[in-house]
Amino acid sequence: MTQFLIRRLLLTFPVMVGILLVTFIITRLVPGNPCYVMLGERATVAACDDFMHRYGLDKSIPEQFIRYVANLMKGDFGESIKDHRPITTIISERLPMTMELTILAMLFASTFGILLGVISALNRNSFIDTLTMIGANIGVSMPVFWLGLLLAYVFALMLKGTPFVLPPSSRLTAGMSLAPLTKTWGLGTPTGIGGFLLGLMSHSAILNGLLTANFALVGDALRHLILPAAAVGTISLAVIARMTRSSLLDVLGQDYIRTARAKGLIYRLIITRHALRNALIPIVTIIGIQTGGLLSGAVLTETIFSLPGVGSRMVEAILGRDYPVVQGFSVIIALIFVFTNLIVDFSYAFLDPRIRLE
Amino acid sequence: MKHKTLFVALTVLLLASMALASCKPATTPAPLAPTQPPAPTKAPEPTKAPEPTTAPEPTKEPTKAPEPTAAPTATEAPKYAGLKYETSNCDYGGTVKAIEALDEFTVKITFCNPDPAFLAKIAVPAFEILDADYLAAIGGDAAKLAENPVGTGPYILKEWVRGDHITFVPNPTYWGVPVANKTFILKWNAEAAARLLDLQAGNTSGIAEVSVDDVPTIQADPNLKLVPRPINNFIYLGINNQKPPFDNEKVRQAFAMAIDKQRIVDNFYSPGSVAATQFVPPGVKPGFTEGYKGTQYDPAKAKQMLQEANFDFNAEYVLSYAERTRPYFPQPTKIAQDVQAQLAEIGIKIKLDMQEWATYLPAARAGNLELFFLGWSEDYPDATNWYDVFLMGADKAFGAPYPDIMELIKKAAVLGDPVERQKLYDQVNVLYDQHVPCIVIAHGTTQLAFQASVQNVVLGPYNENFPQMQTADGTLVFSQDGDAVSLDCADETDGNSFRACLMLFDTLYDFKWGSSELEPSLAEKCVANSTATEWTCTLKKGIKFSNGASLDANDVVTSWDIAWDYSNPLRKGNTGVFNYWKSFFGPKALNQPPEPTPTP
Repeated sequence: MTQFLIRRLLLTFPVMVGILLVTFIITRLVPGNPCYVMLGERATVAACDDFMHRYGLDKSIPEQFIRYVANLMKGDFGESIKDHRPITTIISERLPMTMELTILAMLFASTFGILLGVISALNRNSFIDTLTMIGANIGVSMPVFWLGLLLAYVFALMLKGTPFVLPPSSRLTAGMSLAPLTKTWGLGTPTGIGGFLLGLMSHSAILNGLLTANFALVGDALRHLILPAAAVGTISLAVIARMTRSSLLDVLGQDYIRTARAKGLIYRLIITRHALRNALIPIVTIIGIQTGGLLSGAVLTETIFSLPGVGSRMVEAILGRDYPVVQGFSVIIALIFVFTNLIVDFSYAFLDPRIRLE
Repeated sequence: MKHKTLFVALTVLLLASMALASCKPATTPAPLAPTQPPAPTKAPEPTKAPEPTTAPEPTKEPTKAPEPTAAPTATEAPKYAGLKYETSNCDYGGTVKAIEALDEFTVKITFCNPDPAFLAKIAVPAFEILDADYLAAIGGDAAKLAENPVGTGPYILKEWVRGDHITFVPNPTYWGVPVANKTFILKWNAEAAARLLDLQAGNTSGIAEVSVDDVPTIQADPNLKLVPRPINNFIYLGINNQKPPFDNEKVRQAFAMAIDKQRIVDNFYSPGSVAATQFVPPGVKPGFTEGYKGTQYDPAKAKQMLQEANFDFNAEYVLSYAERTRPYFPQPTKIAQDVQAQLAEIGIKIKLDMQEWATYLPAARAGNLELFFLGWSEDYPDATNWYDVFLMGADKAFGAPYPDIMELIKKAAVLGDPVERQKLYDQVNVLYDQHVPCIVIAHGTTQLAFQASVQNVVLGPYNENFPQMQTADGTLVFSQDGDAVSLDCADETDGNSFRACLMLFDTLYDFKWGSSELEPSLAEKCVANSTATEWTCTLKKGIKFSNGASLDANDVVTSWDIAWDYSNPLRKGNTGVFNYWKSFFGPKALNQPPEPTPTP
């Protein structure tokens, strides 16, 4: 196991180098430059020449890359061209919201997806099965921006005045705010990895609320996440439900299930102990992929619900040619994918002891 | 988790989420009528005497070292060390010759050429006045300024959650009319539909940039009100006269004649928008020629002119645009398609080329596009912000410049007499129709929407009276279409940043709420000499920054010199370009390094 872990961690380095190189080159080769985006209609050729010179963007691509890597070796991800803030600070602000949304969405999607998939498989070719799979197909096909607006319309407008009303946008209700944990705990201004982690914790509304016993904050944060999590989780839910159904049906047709039934084992135990556990491997893989995808940013959901997450900032940076942000976020997203896959691989061994990670 | 407990866990989760959903929201403001009457909009005069201040040590290079210029007037009064920055001439490429503090409350700016539009220019938020000592303390760093902006405006910053909202609370040292709300929250959502939903749900008090499609919905909702904002802007179809067949004037004239502008306005613009008749909007005076109709829509004549010009009807011409919604360009693709269809009616084949903004604008500026859509909203109410920006050959978008037009514009820009200026602009407007550097299509109106309960809403071309708007619970929440970039607005150009800066900072002159009329803000008055080459401004006394420092002339000199002079050590900004200064008083700034040689 340890050997496997070390090997996988070592493999992340070439992945990171590849991501850095490809992202760097692609962002530089794409036409356009950040000046025209920042200065808009008022940008002049002379002003933009000045701008590009100031940021060293008029240098050759290899020269820029060497400088970037040299800074990265010192742990310096650079600063955003847009607002001159360190990339690590921006990541620590944006990632927690995305993580909260992902966790809630995947909880919703996994819970109901597996449940619906199991019900569907156990009632194969019945009315319930057909209905569930039609629902799953609709869930997969529905554009998230449309579903998001629809949910917001129903829960914010149609149910306005009822106990079921939910906010259609923003991270927190106007007037509520997150106090930095460094300030709450009197830690000064820590730097380095400690400062980064404290930043992450501070900007996670739920975690911040729990750590400071501010349960009103936790409740408010959760209320604001219900609609986006439902919107973004619906597609994952549908995918998981379909995968659960097909995987479970496959397992239910295996000889050992027939043997268990012939032995007179209780049907519920056959399903939970033998069938579902064996059917979980492809489901976990799908959950891992979906989780990685959501952690890298649910752009449309973040836009519709006005949530300051990774996806919206990444798109903004790409459109604005904010190269350091694109590069920094790409590295983080790649790391997230690598570690999500690592966790999925570990879960295989847990689910099926025959699988040896070494 | 054991499998046998899976279903139990799922049930618990389901129940927990239902319980959570049924929780009462923390705040969902119900619209109620305010109890306070609207506050007066005229600011009272500050009465408190100023505190003596110490000017920062000059740090300039020898070519324009600061000199104390105030003459001693009383034996006991401390001598005021006024800053002075100057250059011997304007060979550096700008129009400003000197900025100096004559005494504690008097500032003089000297130009090489007359600048009759000076007051209008310094009313733009990019000319905000900051505390010189504070700027020195933070080294002019825009990021530090964004963390703790120190200004003289009606609000101070409580928090800025990037990508989400900015919260303002009243500035206790504010010198003007006390603000009407205890909290002002500026939030953003890029989607117009989502902004409207937020407004309908009661989560915001007002929203910016209402989509044309949403206007009927808002008009039909008794809880909401639509408030149009008049603003001078235009959308134009640019024509590059270096790209055949558009090098032929007759072809350009025929294109101008072939487009039914009124049809475009009727189909795609908000109520209140108008079709263009000449280069500038009707509100630009001097500039707009009353009664002049310009080129009229006449497709038959347009086709005949094209035939006479041997126009190739078999060729395909590329019309480029970017899907970037603006008040003057509310539905880019639909408008481009309509122009394509209109030109097709007389046999012209147009291929639409939608580009990404970051690629599109440089391509247009470099003269690589033959036909393209771009637009403009004015920065200040003066014709120089139109004619001088577009028709003086600043870039290659229209191809080669038109010398006869440029000569007239140059003359008009330095005239103080509006009647004489208008005569010159009348000629320019006729020449514009003759040369057709572009085809101005429309002047769009932008619509904002508010809860019906929000009182005292006054919208002008350049500002909204947020500090005086009144809500029942004392919290005003306004949603715009994007985040502010920074709060160092001297170095910003976007309206979303300016909206935030207007809450925190003041300029010497300001636009009255709801109009383009100028009124003194931090200045008591500014007067020009007879040739408008020297402007002397007297500051109001007793005004304090939010950090308690008193406003004096050196604050003005320092704030402006940072934008003017590359050698000023505090010249950091956000982009480092300080584009507004260069646009208004450039094209170049003082001590600007030579332009870099492009890398092959």
